[in-house]
Amino acid sequence: MPRICLATLGLRLFVAVVVCFLLLPIVIVIPLAFGNDGSLIFPPRGLSLRWFANIFQRPEFLSAFALSAAVALVATTISLVAGSLAAYALARFRFPFRGALEMVFLTPLIFPAIVLGLALSIVLGPLGLLRSFWGLVLAHTILTLPYIIRTLTGTLKELDRSIEEAALVLGANPWRMVSLVLFPLLRPGILAGAIFALIISFDEFTVTLFLVGPRLNTLPIEIFNYVEFNIDPTVAAISTILIGLSTLAVVLIERLVGLARILT
Amino acid sequence: MGRWRQGLKLPLLLAPAVAISIAMLAPIVVMAVISLQDRFPDATRFTLDAYTGFFTDDYQLRVAWRTLLLGATVTAICLVLAYPVAWFLVFGRSRVAHLVFLAVLAPLLVSIVVRTIGWTVLLGNEGLLNTTLLWLGVVDEPVAFMRSFWSVVTGMVHVLLPFMVLSIVSVLGKIDPSLAEAAGLLGARPGRVFLAVTLPMSVQGIAAGSVIVFCLTIGAYLTPLWLGRGSVAVMALTMRQQVLDLVDWPGGAAAAMVLTLGALVVVGLYGLAVHRFGRR
Repeated sequence: MPRICLATLGLRLFVAVVVCFLLLPIVIVIPLAFGNDGSLIFPPRGLSLRWFANIFQRPEFLSAFALSAAVALVATTISLVAGSLAAYALARFRFPFRGALEMVFLTPLIFPAIVLGLALSIVLGPLGLLRSFWGLVLAHTILTLPYIIRTLTGTLKELDRSIEEAALVLGANPWRMVSLVLFPLLRPGILAGAIFALIISFDEFTVTLFLVGPRLNTLPIEIFNYVEFNIDPTVAAISTILIGLSTLAVVLIERLVGLARILT
Repeated sequence: MGRWRQGLKLPLLLAPAVAISIAMLAPIVVMAVISLQDRFPDATRFTLDAYTGFFTDDYQLRVAWRTLLLGATVTAICLVLAYPVAWFLVFGRSRVAHLVFLAVLAPLLVSIVVRTIGWTVLLGNEGLLNTTLLWLGVVDEPVAFMRSFWSVVTGMVHVLLPFMVLSIVSVLGKIDPSLAEAAGLLGARPGRVFLAVTLPMSVQGIAAGSVIVFCLTIGAYLTPLWLGRGSVAVMALTMRQQVLDLVDWPGGAAAAMVLTLGALVVVGLYGLAVHRFGRR
């Protein structure tokens, strides 16, 4: 069957090209971080770690990293609580406008980020939340909630609800049912949703741009500001560290739950 | 479970998420109101001036058209690139499928700022692509890949391709492979099996992926700014200028509402497509 083989070969070649397209702009940044050149030109000349050293001489990068991490953690925690309660209601109860409500919850997935940022900046100003930590937390909670709800409703719908009913019938009170039965069964979904929410929050740019201020910048915004005035490999060094962190996250997810289970 | 228990529990379960949704929707309503006012703050009356201003301004209309074109182009290219990859992931029976899946996810997991810098290194005047082309003698002087519509398209496709692949994978994965086999055994050629069986069954994933990619493209800010370098004006960029530099809040809000409406139309089309093809 030579025709089938040719088709398979063509498909593999196509996939290989797409994979290169996806990885090249990410991987190319790494060697630049170790170059001695003062510019972002490939291939780098010389070998140096001074761009990594430069990150640590600039306190704004460290404080931006700390802010990003804090916002991501707090927003994800709030989303996780609100999202798992809502996901349970959506998956286990029948009530009027359930479908409409689910759509509203998932809206931020596709809502134009620029519009949301603009709208939030108008409203948060008079509330005193503009350029504040809690304003950022609110925005990031809005943006991460749908990821948690989507992952958890998916996991819940796959679970057999008779397991929960059996626990209740056998005399467990609702708290014990949740902590001993439901939570352990949902743990992979919760973990997956949380990691995804952390990544989304840590990387958010457009909405955040409207809400940050001087001395209150998240890491993506701080890098953006730096690059506007300095084109040197410091950003490549930061990028390399971030790529390392992402790789770590992927390995963790893979070990704990398996990526394929989360996303499809 | 008794009805009375559901009656009590349901509002409690939904309350936090509903509160967060209100925090998202209320500002959009406020912005809709501002778009109908003569100025902001200190509005004196309601008017449609901001909208008539938008639809009579040639520049704004050109920018809106370019935004639409960008969304459509990025969606189409993502679709063409993603479908074979999704197919390979689901039906390829390859030992490297797992690694390909990781590569597809990579852009999602790496900061958008990193990716944009990567494209600058590749596409800049002294970038890898130009260096290679010069070295090969294909061109005599650097090609200006950056600052163009197509550099923005390239960057956006890179950012959004994972969403399209994941959407299509999730529907292809639900198709029973024996259906295609049966069609093949009954004498249908591979091309016909694809057109008559597999493609119609994956319409829902294609539609969902297209909605996500289109909506995220028209709302994107960083990629058009950085890879377009000021020469690819899209609505996200002009809207921010209008609000911050010109302090024209009603105008910016009206443009934002037009963009939102565009996204809603696409979601509506998606609903129609799913209704028409999805549930056979």
